[in-house]
Amino acid sequence: MLVAILALALAACTNAGATTGSRPDDGIRIGTLLDVTSWDPAKADIGFDGPYLSAVYDPLVALDKDSNPIPALATSWKYSSDRRTLTMHLRTGVKFTDGQSFDAAAAVQNLKHLKAGVRSGQTYANVDDVREVDPDTIAIHLKKKDDALLYYMGLGRSWMASPAAIKAEQLTARPVGSGPYTFNTGRSTPGSQYVFTKKARHWDSGTYPFGTVSIFPIPDPTASFNAMLSGQLNVSYANEADIPHAKRNGWNIQSKVATWVGLQFTDRTGKRLKPLGDVRVRRAINHAFDGAAILKSVGQGAGVATNQVFPAGDAAYDASLNDRYAFDMDKAKRLMAEAGYPDGFRVSMPMSSIFQGWQPAVQQILGQLGIEVTWKNMSPADYQKNAATFPMFIAVLALDSNPAASVDGRITSRQWFNPNPSTEAFPELSELLRKIGATTGKEQLALIRRLNAEVTDQAWQNVWYQANNTYFSIKGITVTPITGMMFPTLRFIQRG
Amino acid sequence: MIKFTLRRLLSGAVLLLVVTSASFFLAHLAIGDPTAGLLGDSATPAQRAALREQLGLDRALLTQFWDWFSHAVQGDFGTSWRNFQPISDQIALRVPVTLSVVVAATLLAAVVGLAVGVATGLRPSGILARGLKLASVVLFALPGFWVSLVLVMVFAIKLQWFPAVGYVPLVHSGTGWLRSITLPSIALALGAIVMIAEQLRNGFLQVNNQDFVRTLRARGLSSRRVTLHVLRNASPAALTVLAVMFVGLLGGAIVVEIVFNLPGIGSLTQSASQIGDIPVLLGLTVVTVVFVVVINFLLDLVLGWVNPKVREQ
Repeated sequence: MLVAILALALAACTNAGATTGSRPDDGIRIGTLLDVTSWDPAKADIGFDGPYLSAVYDPLVALDKDSNPIPALATSWKYSSDRRTLTMHLRTGVKFTDGQSFDAAAAVQNLKHLKAGVRSGQTYANVDDVREVDPDTIAIHLKKKDDALLYYMGLGRSWMASPAAIKAEQLTARPVGSGPYTFNTGRSTPGSQYVFTKKARHWDSGTYPFGTVSIFPIPDPTASFNAMLSGQLNVSYANEADIPHAKRNGWNIQSKVATWVGLQFTDRTGKRLKPLGDVRVRRAINHAFDGAAILKSVGQGAGVATNQVFPAGDAAYDASLNDRYAFDMDKAKRLMAEAGYPDGFRVSMPMSSIFQGWQPAVQQILGQLGIEVTWKNMSPADYQKNAATFPMFIAVLALDSNPAASVDGRITSRQWFNPNPSTEAFPELSELLRKIGATTGKEQLALIRRLNAEVTDQAWQNVWYQANNTYFSIKGITVTPITGMMFPTLRFIQRG
Repeated sequence: MIKFTLRRLLSGAVLLLVVTSASFFLAHLAIGDPTAGLLGDSATPAQRAALREQLGLDRALLTQFWDWFSHAVQGDFGTSWRNFQPISDQIALRVPVTLSVVVAATLLAAVVGLAVGVATGLRPSGILARGLKLASVVLFALPGFWVSLVLVMVFAIKLQWFPAVGYVPLVHSGTGWLRSITLPSIALALGAIVMIAEQLRNGFLQVNNQDFVRTLRARGLSSRRVTLHVLRNASPAALTVLAVMFVGLLGGAIVVEIVFNLPGIGSLTQSASQIGDIPVLLGLTVVTVVFVVVINFLLDLVLGWVNPKVREQ
């Protein structure tokens, strides 16, 4: 009764339907999982910051739907013969919202700012120096060949900001870019709603069909789904459990693999836990887990059962490798016995609330091999800090839709989840990596496919499946998911 | 009165010091090294070390505490470890959201609770009194998020009278603001309404049987004036409950802010806890303690006004 009275009174003051229902205007209302981390591209996250930053900034390099680098503010580029210098030609006539011009000096200042950034710095780890060649050309000098650089730049690591704003350290408070939209502070409420208004003129105006873009950070999946149901949103980051309901509503449902789920081995040489140094033990563990069953029971069936860290559908992905470790508990036990561990061994593993869904399966399956797990409970923040100090742990790790980036990020480089890549202890792997480093193009891709087969054969990890990210949109709007971006940038949200 | 005020302020300051100091050391003990959570999957050990140095985490804990404390007493809570924005600015943006919902819920609870409490106190065996008994059992048994979800499903999704999520600041639109806080306030107030009504009803019945009420009636006072006297004597317990409820609603606001996606201090507390953003958590602790101290101080003043005996104590 009280609610009805209030509603009637408020309805008399305003048109309720205008803000809650779907309407055929030229605006789009997007619900994403997280609030913008920072308006400063050097402090922003690639993951969920894409929609926000792509509204107000132009990148030097963008990605197409197949994750190939395409021109943006850099109109073309060329590597030197030794691939240690990348020369980029820049777009002219572009201005930032504070009136500053985009030119080679601005690009150099931006790239140096990004290289020094706490979150963006990793992308530019191989960059030695950036220099202005002429007002419309820059040269990026590399310490060593870096085949993933353009991909990472396109993924969200080359947003260009006003040089004056960088110098004055103003970007933490507000964005100053040259992007297709301007940030409408008057209609925005930080933490709740960010409104962007399309510029009358922009060099890439055709890529952005919506007159206004409103982005709502909604961490709770139920709240996000309710907002879609009430018509407040027309695009949202989705929970797999809501897919049947979304189908009944006639919404578009777009999914693509985003993370791999399984056991990460951090001690493949057996320094701390001798059994893990024996490939037969790692293979036994791979045979013991039925990835498809875990995907169905814990992962709600939303993903692809595979044992690879290259995304399903990627050029380096090889479907034939998925049979390499078919579920076979008898074979797993035989391998354990052959390795000299017929009764298993003891291992300590970390555990935190977000991984508890998989804990019973791991406990039971490893138990069947005689592997006795002692769980060390910790907070989610401590898990990321401490997990890699254990010989193996349950992992959910992001995938990259670029073969070279996958090799670097998942196999060879030192990361929190892979503190001892130990590739040098595996001669065939080392040789393949050397050849990959010396080649490019199709030749390199063929070698990466061989590397994928080799790491699978060596049971480098125990991948159960690759999990999807899913997006709902109303009829008339489509989202193209990009593996590597937790939420795609605005160029991947289109009418149609 | 001045002595009373000074004593309250001093105890409030001591409470603030003890709670925030304990929070500082407990948070550092519980979260340890937050850099992995802050930098994400792709962070290298070198990046984490650089961030640790940038955040000052490589210094002794006591040094860190003194640095934080000396700035906090000047109102400077530092910058967030996640987005590097000043914490005072973030809290200033979010306090109005939580206060809007909590104050509206408190007013709603006070007004409706008062009306129901008096009505059931006057007719203790009437239908309303029995309904109140039933409602108090049901509403206490129902979890806050469930009540919130039912309100969203009926009034936002089905009827589309109110928005399902989001907050509109008062300065942007008065009606937009009211529409955005209506369902969260009702969800938050329902439990408080029955609690206040129950307290008031019980107090009313107790006072109604006292000798001075019989004397008032014997002196020929109208029943309206007698009711006012009874209400004044029965209200301290309900007022105390109301003040406790206000503080409790600040905590309960976390659930409501999540369901309705309101950018208040509850949702900020949740996100800061998840990633281990200790400076934000400490800033929020200070603000919450200040709220508790101020509310208790105001409660004492009101109780003193309602009941002169309290002033003498």
